Amino acid sequence: MGITLKDIKAKYRELFVVEKSPEEKNKPFDPKKAAHDFWYGKEHEERRLGDLYVGNTGLYKHREWRGVKDTMYYFNMIWLYNYAHMVSDIMKYGDGPKAIVDFTKGTLRYRWMGQTYLTVMHWFDRGLEGTRGEAMKASAWHYRAMVSETIRQFMRMFEADKKIHGGEAPEKWNKTIAHNETLSGNIFYGWRDQLDDVALEMIPYFVSVHVNNHTVLNYIDAAQSIGLPSDPCPMCQAEYGLFVQDDYPDYSPVMLTSNEACDGSVATSVLQDWFLNRPLYAMPQPMRYDDPLVQEHCQKEIEGAWKFVEEQFGIKMDWDQYVKHAQSFNKLTEFEWEKWDVAANTPYYPINGVAQALYRIYYSQDGDRPIWHETDARVKAIMEKTVKNKIECFPKTRHRAIAWSCAPLYYSNWCTWAYNCWGINCVINMDSLMFDQYLRTDTYEHALEDLSWFNEKAPMRAMAVGGHEHILSLFDYMERFNCDMVIMYDQLQCKGMQGIHGVFEDEFRKRDIHAIWIPHALPDKRTVSRAEIRDIINDYMTTVMREEPLDPSLLDFDDAMSW
Amino acid sequence: MKDLVHIFELEDLLQEANNKLVRQAKEDGKKALGYTCYFMPEVLLDLPGCFSVRLRAPRSGSPDMATYYMSNRTCMYGRCLLERALEGGFNFLDAQMATETCTVTCRFQEHLQLMDIIKNPDFFCEFTDVPFKKNENSIDHYEKQLQDHVLDKLSDRFGIDTSDEALLKAIEEHNEICRLITEIGRYRKLDEPTITGWEFSVIQLATLVCPKYLIIDMLKDIAEQLKTRKPDAKKTYRCKVVLTGSEEDDPSFIKLIEECGALVVADRHCYGSLPGREEIIVKEGERPLRAIARHYIETSECPRFMDQHIMRERKQYLADVAKEYKADGIIISQMKFCEYWSYERTIDTLILPRDFGYPVCSIEKEYVNNAVGQLRTRFQAFVESIELKNIQKEA
Repeated sequence: MGITLKDIKAKYRELFVVEKSPEEKNKPFDPKKAAHDFWYGKEHEERRLGDLYVGNTGLYKHREWRGVKDTMYYFNMIWLYNYAHMVSDIMKYGDGPKAIVDFTKGTLRYRWMGQTYLTVMHWFDRGLEGTRGEAMKASAWHYRAMVSETIRQFMRMFEADKKIHGGEAPEKWNKTIAHNETLSGNIFYGWRDQLDDVALEMIPYFVSVHVNNHTVLNYIDAAQSIGLPSDPCPMCQAEYGLFVQDDYPDYSPVMLTSNEACDGSVATSVLQDWFLNRPLYAMPQPMRYDDPLVQEHCQKEIEGAWKFVEEQFGIKMDWDQYVKHAQSFNKLTEFEWEKWDVAANTPYYPINGVAQALYRIYYSQDGDRPIWHETDARVKAIMEKTVKNKIECFPKTRHRAIAWSCAPLYYSNWCTWAYNCWGINCVINMDSLMFDQYLRTDTYEHALEDLSWFNEKAPMRAMAVGGHEHILSLFDYMERFNCDMVIMYDQLQCKGMQGIHGVFEDEFRKRDIHAIWIPHALPDKRTVSRAEIRDIINDYMTTVMREEPLDPSLLDFDDAMSW
Repeated sequence: MKDLVHIFELEDLLQEANNKLVRQAKEDGKKALGYTCYFMPEVLLDLPGCFSVRLRAPRSGSPDMATYYMSNRTCMYGRCLLERALEGGFNFLDAQMATETCTVTCRFQEHLQLMDIIKNPDFFCEFTDVPFKKNENSIDHYEKQLQDHVLDKLSDRFGIDTSDEALLKAIEEHNEICRLITEIGRYRKLDEPTITGWEFSVIQLATLVCPKYLIIDMLKDIAEQLKTRKPDAKKTYRCKVVLTGSEEDDPSFIKLIEECGALVVADRHCYGSLPGREEIIVKEGERPLRAIARHYIETSECPRFMDQHIMRERKQYLADVAKEYKADGIIISQMKFCEYWSYERTIDTLILPRDFGYPVCSIEKEYVNNAVGQLRTRFQAFVESIELKNIQKEA
């Protein structure tokens, strides 16, 4: 059977033509409205964003028309700008023209790299769908910063990687510190002028799963293929799978690990030691971190980590470097507090839920880097404008939500969908609230004291360990951020959160709070799919809240095959 | 073999947490102090005026209420403890001396703090932070924690004497129990052991859940009888194994393994004696509390220790135990949903056969042992595989 013209036409319609609904077809043409829609974009309730998708894929038949100004901005300053920088940043962060060679080798060698680089702009599209004006711009700058820092990190890994250099150690191998992604980069400020620190799993696992959620499944399967049960935290499983598959760059002579945030993280250290077989320093944090008695112990462990780096690399920690970067990082923290203030007390906050969540966790874990400051300066200007001019960035907000516990990494952009479909504006999330700590640098003792507190309040750990009062602080934050709804992430394999599930149920009932439980398996979309997550929210909004969707075309669509 | 003296009496004592001897000690005016983890030194809870009870939930069924609170995706040990607490089974406790050493038992203990479950107006639950490494910094830290969260609390709340003299006396009594258990356990090293794994587990568990001063005479009787106890004329087992893994407080599980032909000669798990029943040595000039802190950090073989050399030494320790007890193989048992042991089991299953030549049977199980048939099949197959290997070796 040959392909007929009819088949081609049908395929063309399937891939590129957005069918109008019968009601729309029957509407008389209104040139004034058409001109208005062309210039400003359609009103929220008329957009029908779901009609833009090609079935099964979550890809667009054509790009969203956001009005002339915003579409032009998106095309030039988001699409073209970022594509151009995805090339130029390789040169900027890499070793000149040789960078292209390293990049190509790395892309061909590592599955997580090969499968994600060209899908980056779709990641932008998913997260920024439906945004307009200042919200679109501010959120996009956050995305841009994350891409830039990602390129910096993988280029450093590739440049220093033995595996793509024929097993020989490149010069930078001896100048790069590898550490767990859960160990904050701020520990290594004292060497930032001579060494570089790169979290081992941050790009191969954490970033890649956001950009392309298929990538990580292979690693989870690999971990289980050698006997690990399927119930431990899938994040740890995926990190483990990188080693089983030998899909991690060998870019450092050492490894530093941490017990952050849970039992699984501790256990992963055992496996990393087994696979890496090189000098390893574990830097655990105390569990009962509110206890004043634990601080000295924690400080000594940090000093132990410093001593380990000094001994392994033969380079003394430079106190002035530490001070410089800690003070610089404080500026990021100060701006974060400003952002929280605007988010909590006004409708003018220009950053959407996914950009807020991802940017905050990324920069605070990574530590002080120039790109975060550049981005904050841009976002600050935007935020000042929205506040000064009283621009409501999410004008269709029906509910101000706080998201609690850890998010589904394969669907971190659920909040973009929830706003577009239901007007649920996710104002803040739990992981944004970690690292809530200023770093004093006036004396060594103060610096160490604050640094230990800072690390004790890392993602998940700040709320999930050290006493039930931390996780139950949800209700204080809910009040502080003026939220009327809770999106309760239900990470099915997180023992800490599962272990307090019923207490939350009791509290929600007692306090008469609308809480939507979102079950998920962190990076593993096979356990609870994106469509199932949407169904759960849809069901709650229709049956409990008895509300109508803002955009009914988004209620039900299949994006199982989407990146 | 002839029945061990007191063994059925001890077995009876394991049928409920608030057993006959616990009630007797309470009547004697002593405070009952619950705990769940080796990192809460029982020696401190056995100071004059109080006694330790390591919590178990024997004869548990389906922990429905606890499953509402903790979901069905958490370790069943933690859930069964919460269920038992909600049922009123731990109302005899005067305090819970808690540790945040694994997530689910921590959450269980937090529920005790949060929900006013224990119907005892004086009840309190106090947490101790336990370090993850075996170094001086950890021992310093642990010592401070024990002073503040255990000794000071016992002194303030119950007027317990926590002086160095009292601690030394508690250490002495504790060491006597350890000596007896070690002596009893030594018969497992014989070519033909004169004590079964089930018998030993009953005795060891009884020392964890009963007031020690009320069972010490029974232990002495058992030790005495073992001096002259003869093995059966015909061997009743086909191979000897070490049982290692996570929480295990069910002697019937040991019995199940032994019914399949594998005599359990060593117990390296959370409620076992290896480690756990080593004597506490107070060095010259050392504070007794310091000696206790050092002892528990140094002897523990818990997979939560993260030092590089300790992670590696754990494997060697297990292999050494297998050699010392003349075991033919190792059964690694992990409580389902225990994260520490799911990783440790995976890596042990790979390393022990490869680097030490020990065959391994690697299993996951629930606290309430319903899957007996499946486990029986696994153990029988394991025993047969060891026998086959032995035949091949002889050939």
